[in-house]
Amino acid sequence: MKIFRHLTTALTTFSALVAGGAFAFVVALTFVVSIFRDVEISAWNVVASQIGPWFLLFIGVYAIHNTLPIAIAHGRTRREFLVAASGFSVVLALVMTVAEWLGFLVEGGIYSLMDWSAGEHGTQYAYFQMYLVWVAVGMLCAAAFDRFGAGGIFVLPVAFAFVVITRVQIPGSGDFPFFRNVPSVLGSGWHVLSVAAFLVALAGTWAIARDMPVRQRSA
Amino acid sequence: MRIDVQGLTVRYGDTVAIDDMSFSLSGNKIYGLLGRNGAGKTSLMSALAGYRKPSGSVQLDGAPVFENAASMRQVCLVRHSADAADKSDKVSHVLEYGAAWRDTWDNDYALELVDLFRIGLKTKVGELSLGQRSALGVVIGLASRSPLTMLDESHLGMDTPTRYAFYDTLLHDFMAHPRTIVISTHLIEELSSLLEEVLIIDAGRLVLQEEADVLRSRGTEVTGNASDVDEFTAGLTVLGEKSLGRTKAAMVYGALDDGQLVRARQLGLELGPIALQDLFVHLTEPVGGKR
Repeated sequence: MKIFRHLTTALTTFSALVAGGAFAFVVALTFVVSIFRDVEISAWNVVASQIGPWFLLFIGVYAIHNTLPIAIAHGRTRREFLVAASGFSVVLALVMTVAEWLGFLVEGGIYSLMDWSAGEHGTQYAYFQMYLVWVAVGMLCAAAFDRFGAGGIFVLPVAFAFVVITRVQIPGSGDFPFFRNVPSVLGSGWHVLSVAAFLVALAGTWAIARDMPVRQRSA
Repeated sequence: MRIDVQGLTVRYGDTVAIDDMSFSLSGNKIYGLLGRNGAGKTSLMSALAGYRKPSGSVQLDGAPVFENAASMRQVCLVRHSADAADKSDKVSHVLEYGAAWRDTWDNDYALELVDLFRIGLKTKVGELSLGQRSALGVVIGLASRSPLTMLDESHLGMDTPTRYAFYDTLLHDFMAHPRTIVISTHLIEELSSLLEEVLIIDAGRLVLQEEADVLRSRGTEVTGNASDVDEFTAGLTVLGEKSLGRTKAAMVYGALDDGQLVRARQLGLELGPIALQDLFVHLTEPVGGKR
């Protein structure tokens, strides 16, 4: 419980502050852009659908790569940490979804006042699942590279497949140079696949990190 | 806290860092873990601290340590770069980790030590000098008040006054809160007065485990007239010699029997204890430089 409390208070607070800062930045940027051209898309959607997932991936990596060894150095087991990190990933995804929702709410008000067009964005559930999978994939990748070194590269195709699944129902996910829009070929099955991707990513993290050596240094 | 290691082997690929090592420590002492570079000290401590899954058995008070929550709570390993900290963390955050995650953490003592070693609470760990990072490691190790506290080359980068402050603090804290402390170091003579028992490892194997006083008695420094010293040491294992004019001092390995003691007195030779460091060199590097 101590690890869970620490992760949620420290990293979730940090993530919420970053989200707040990002929101303030894109609102200011939108006003600057409006001087030169019409505003036709939601700037916050670019953050929520493109930068947000990468940020959550980073938090997932940070949790395993940086915080797990510290927890072990302070006398905690990998199992205790992984239980806490699993719960933390859900809480973080929830908090970031709330931040995303609040962002759209405030941005919607500003866009209405300024008579700007925001375009469409995904459902809260779609964003929540996307954030959930990305943070879990971050943990999976960190565990794989920390344990197997360069051999961790073999987990990347799986990780890529998992994160692509989550973007099916997110409009505008091709607006940033990381992914093109993915055709909606999965129909309503996307959310089942997203949940499965999250669970498999988490299970993979457990399998790899459960007896992973930490702070390795040759003899 | 009793430590039992049985058939421990640690490998890094094809390299064997610890080779089928077995020993027991009865606990509540300050142990010195001595070995040359690459002897396997850090690997051994990592296995004792549950940093890696052991091949073989590592038990603390009869219970396996790896992924055993009850045992892991009892252990703190600090290496010269503080393991329990991230380089991007401020020192104050590092202490918060300890307070949050360690049931036995003594935060007042941690703050006292941070002050003693002049470490800025607002400084990031990555901005500390090597000596300050080592000192922070000592803070974490001692303030953890763990029944098994291991300090791996915690003196690295410390200047002399800081090292002496570290030794004094360690001894005072051990007297006030007796527990099992294992220290690995290359500065054997500086620390030798603190050590109650010594383990010497070499090439991943246990060379010797002995009470420090017993170990010291294994060697004798013979001082006197050069020719008398030469006569006396003929046939004995001489670890090293020093000469000044006609006076010579030779370090002899092995206990002297009564006849030899009488002969030394007849020759007017002075017999004294040998430095632990010289014994260590001898035990890990046989005369002639071949291992």
